[in-house]
Amino acid sequence: MNAYKMLVITMLVLSQSAFAEVAVIVNSANNNNIDAKLVKKIYLGKTKAFSDGGKVKVYTLPSSQDDTEYFRKKALKKSNSQFKSYWSKLAFTGKGTPATELDTAAEIIAAIKKDPKAIGFVNSSDVNDEVRVVLNY
Amino acid sequence: MKFISFIKLAAATSCLISMLSLAEINLSGFASINAGKVLSGTGVEHYGVPPTFLADYPIVSAYSEEWDMAPESLFGLQITADLNDGLTAIAQLVGRGVDDYSPKFEWAYLSYDINENWTVQAGRKRLPLFYYSDFYDVGYAYVWMRAPADNYTWQIFNYNGINLMYNTDLGDWSLATNLYAGKEEDKENKLLGDFFFGDTTKEIWKDMMGGVINLSKDWFETRFTYMQYTNERDIGGEQVMWGGKDSRDGKFFGAAFNVDFDNWFILSEINRLDLEFDGNLDTNMITFGYRINNLTPFIVYSSMKQKGDGVVDGENHNTTSVGLRWDFHDAAAFKIQYDDVKDNSHDFAVAGDSKSLSFGVDLVF
Repeated sequence: MNAYKMLVITMLVLSQSAFAEVAVIVNSANNNNIDAKLVKKIYLGKTKAFSDGGKVKVYTLPSSQDDTEYFRKKALKKSNSQFKSYWSKLAFTGKGTPATELDTAAEIIAAIKKDPKAIGFVNSSDVNDEVRVVLNY
Repeated sequence: MKFISFIKLAAATSCLISMLSLAEINLSGFASINAGKVLSGTGVEHYGVPPTFLADYPIVSAYSEEWDMAPESLFGLQITADLNDGLTAIAQLVGRGVDDYSPKFEWAYLSYDINENWTVQAGRKRLPLFYYSDFYDVGYAYVWMRAPADNYTWQIFNYNGINLMYNTDLGDWSLATNLYAGKEEDKENKLLGDFFFGDTTKEIWKDMMGGVINLSKDWFETRFTYMQYTNERDIGGEQVMWGGKDSRDGKFFGAAFNVDFDNWFILSEINRLDLEFDGNLDTNMITFGYRINNLTPFIVYSSMKQKGDGVVDGENHNTTSVGLRWDFHDAAAFKIQYDDVKDNSHDFAVAGDSKSLSFGVDLVF
């Protein structure tokens, strides 16, 4: 029985570290259905609003952080340079505004707590109950 | 008295500062530092053109048999003033090696987001004829050294006018469309003046009206475009006449298809300009590329062919290119490319056959 418990706990711990590395978060008042497709469209500047309307405010961590690289690879299927190349086309032709960059997970959480139209991502270990997690990558 | 004027001044200054601070100003930019030379070329003997690789028609980036860094190097600065509530003012200053880096405002426009779907823009913008036209100067945004020269041959590349954009979702597809109207009057057109007519040429494109539809889904993207305009031209102070008229009409049709699957990608474009008294000018391009970590080798074929009633030996050239992009840094890429140009026309020969090598670094900041 104890051995079985240990195994379950070990598996839980393993699965958390293996699967829940980066969490996409929104304001806790945001009740929109947000799936992986929508996250991808928002971060690629193709969708500019949640289904209940109003312009989305998009946040990102800096390119130099592992969580950012991981998120872009998993959620957007793009390397840092592919992502930057894609956005330079939009930014220099007046078709979109790149995500606002904040240095730390704490700053992202603080910004999202204040804004019901905001979206961001942080390392799963940094998430607290002040924001709503919509997806884990 | 003096004290009161000091207070007045202080009050006025703080007013001014708070007004200025309403706008959040952002600076961003792009640069390309390139070098190239013609390894071998025929030139066009009957027009007195030495061996030349015309890498960029509109701004006349011409490489010769000597290494040269001026033709395609450029530095661009974008100033974005965010005035809140969806209103932004944007300007782009570009200094080019071909113009001794003297900066010029290539873009200057206001943009207003009516809501999350509609945006209206007014001012000076790049003419979005081909897929790559409006980010032509931002080398970092595409794989090649330059957008294929045979395709991107039009002499006018900016317009002054209005642009209305609409974006929405159609199920899993994303739709981005825009409609624009405007005019451009280029008093000293570089391509026509320097390269084709050898005399100061004023080129006017007026009553421009066009639209773009872009549909994308995951790994597939397609773009359709149409534009019409009325052309007036003045060479050495003399108005050009076409069939007894001082203007002629042009209609541009274009389609682009891009597939990006895992590490493979295919980029393609088919375009036609139907220009009165010049027949049809067809431009096509296809690119295959493959990503291996930070390296992206690619191969391109592009062509331009002029045909139609009365066109016997029209403009006719094509380029086969191979190259490599190396993303050695998060915001900078090194590129190297070999271009083999075939110029098949006699009367409308542009720069003759040539084989060239060029390389450089593109970056964004």
